Amino acid sequence: MINPFTRIAGWQAFGIGLAVVVATGITGAFSHVAFDGAIDMHLTQKLSVLNSFLFLAIDLFSVVIIMTATGFIISKSFRIIDILGTMTLSRVPLILIAFAGYFTVSPDINEILKNPYVVFHSVSFIIFSILSIPVIIWTIILMFNALKISCGVKGSKLGTAFIIAMLVSEIISKMLIYKFVII
Amino acid sequence: MLPTSCPSCHSQLKVKCLKCENCETEVSGLYDLPVLALLSSEDQQFILRFVINSGSLKEMSSELKLSYPTVRNLLNEIINKIKTDEK
Repeated sequence: MINPFTRIAGWQAFGIGLAVVVATGITGAFSHVAFDGAIDMHLTQKLSVLNSFLFLAIDLFSVVIIMTATGFIISKSFRIIDILGTMTLSRVPLILIAFAGYFTVSPDINEILKNPYVVFHSVSFIIFSILSIPVIIWTIILMFNALKISCGVKGSKLGTAFIIAMLVSEIISKMLIYKFVII
Repeated sequence: MLPTSCPSCHSQLKVKCLKCENCETEVSGLYDLPVLALLSSEDQQFILRFVINSGSLKEMSSELKLSYPTVRNLLNEIINKIKTDEK
């Protein structure tokens, strides 16, 4: 559940992970869940399949590039395919959020802008928000173990590097999404 | 399994006596244990399998049903233990 990478890594992990990411993209497009950040998602009123895939592709690209760069800093020897595979597989739990979007009624953005407390009137939105927290935590734990196994690093060096890499990935993914995706 | 640490104080043991089973000759002294003998039986088994698999981490990973980086990390841990023991 939290560390499948002792048994699966490399191309095998990439294949399984990619299949689930594609399913997440399709599901997200129809359930209006936009994964618009490395560890970030939002309910939207309208989301095209193309944009749903672009978001996920940019997220994965940002994470893999930054984690690979981190690997070069903290590890003496690692394979880029292990980073690619394990980081792709780490995103599997996000499909749960994409599915949860089907059962969620998001309040209108204009109403939220007028009165932010309107979100508390939607029970499904509150449940969606609560459900997304453990899923995000699960994803982050998977990503941490992915970096740990792929680079063979432990301790505070790993923890510090991972936190910085996560923050940088989130920033880079946001920047790329706002630059390249027309919403 | 060859004992490598003292059951009383846990210090590293040394070889005091060796005996020839053929002529009963005994050689006494104070000899260091080989570095590989200081490793745990699991680590020794890993090294044995690694040699048998021609040093291929890929073959080791399929034999042990572990991922490639996990096997490489196990090997790196053993290398670190050997380096520590050599000091």
